[in-house]
Amino acid sequence: MFILPLMAMLIGVEFILIFNRVTTSYEEKLKNDYAILVISKNELTTPIVRSHSDKVDSVESMNREEIAKEVTAGIQDSGMMAFLKGLPYFYRVHLTKYMSLDELKEVKNQLKSIDGVLNVEIFGESYHSKHTMFRLVKMILNIFIVMLFIVSIFLVIKQMEVWQLAHKDRMKIMEIFGAPMMLRSGILFKIAFIDAIIATFLNIVIFLYFKNSWASRSDIDFIKNNQDLLINISDYFIMFFTAFIIVLVSVSFVAFKSSEVPEG
Amino acid sequence: MASVISATNLSLAYDKGKNVIIENATFSVNQGEFVFITGPSGSGKSTLLKSMYGQIKPNDGELIVGGLNMKKIRKGQLLQLRRNIGIVFQDYKLINEWTVEKNVVLPLIITGYSLDVQRVQSEKLLSHVKLTDCAHKYPLELSGGEQQRVGVARALSKNPFLILADEPTGNLDEFSSGVVWDLLENACDQLNATVIVVTHKIPTIFNIPYRHFIIENGGIHEVH
Repeated sequence: MFILPLMAMLIGVEFILIFNRVTTSYEEKLKNDYAILVISKNELTTPIVRSHSDKVDSVESMNREEIAKEVTAGIQDSGMMAFLKGLPYFYRVHLTKYMSLDELKEVKNQLKSIDGVLNVEIFGESYHSKHTMFRLVKMILNIFIVMLFIVSIFLVIKQMEVWQLAHKDRMKIMEIFGAPMMLRSGILFKIAFIDAIIATFLNIVIFLYFKNSWASRSDIDFIKNNQDLLINISDYFIMFFTAFIIVLVSVSFVAFKSSEVPEG
Repeated sequence: MASVISATNLSLAYDKGKNVIIENATFSVNQGEFVFITGPSGSGKSTLLKSMYGQIKPNDGELIVGGLNMKKIRKGQLLQLRRNIGIVFQDYKLINEWTVEKNVVLPLIITGYSLDVQRVQSEKLLSHVKLTDCAHKYPLELSGGEQQRVGVARALSKNPFLILADEPTGNLDEFSSGVVWDLLENACDQLNATVIVVTHKIPTIFNIPYRHFIIENGGIHEVH
């Protein structure tokens, strides 16, 4: 039975696909939720800011009147107007990607170099903790996938040894009578490809269950709200293709290893 | 008469030439001849037979089988040659997961004959070896003698030009031995196949002319 090691490998492959989608999506969300605060005495536009830093995606102006209203609450209108006159411009600067603290500091310096900019606030501490947590989670998941893959490869190698023992005599007899390799290994290829189809099918069923049943009841909001990230049609093909390649390599290896080398 | 096997100064060795088994052997066997090869245990009888179907490459000298130089033969040519040789082993070498009838037509399966041809040939051969009732059994359900008769039937299934038999009656009772010798005699006499048998003992009753080679001390010579 080649199905179990193959399923373990395919689970690894599917996890890679899912984690990539989830982390990309989460990264995008973190990026969208984050903005640098820029205070400037001159009016700024996106092209002006981007001319200083290509990592800036857009610049959003904050309503100065609302800021003035909050600050001058209880003061007469004329006082507020005077305050507004001396109030600088406030901007939220959105970035093109979710970047590290060092890159963020570099952007800060670039923004500071713009004429009229009084202050740039990157909220480094909270940003850094979120970013570190995100990287840590991603790294743990990658380690998990690598471990899963290593274990699966060992399982596949063991399975290949079992196959070789089970089919060695038959393949040797067939070779003595002149059977070409494809004929000798035909039954192995047949078994392996059937196993590949079954393993892919079982994996799809498992992941569809997670997507449609487990994820909707999950306590993790992000998963609950992003069920579409869990499995999609392209994954079916990727899993089958992976299974196909694995069995092809494994069976070819067994077939070549069983091939007789003339002595002498 | 055309030579089927021709050896000139043939040397066979294991361990990359370190362990020489046969040295400077020169002989030839013609189409339709029956040859016994005898000799003490470990003298190299089976090794010589193995070299004839390419299991062992000549260490030195020349060995021509069916017009092909076994030292220079390519893998594809070797497989092609083997498809036209019938081989009988002392330990039968049947495929235990296959039925008797499928084992018998293994050479036909390999060559790609149709199922109809396979069925007809299987019925005919199993009748010859008196195993018609065992067609759907598996080798491990048969006695040693019956398994060897299946082995001989398999060797004959494609009317090979050459039959190589390594101690074909070594493990058999008198009745099964008699059936095996009859089949091999007939293959030589009626089908004009060349039959080479490695054995410890030549049967006392043998109905066709034969040649006898003895392997001793690494050399081979014919007994007249």
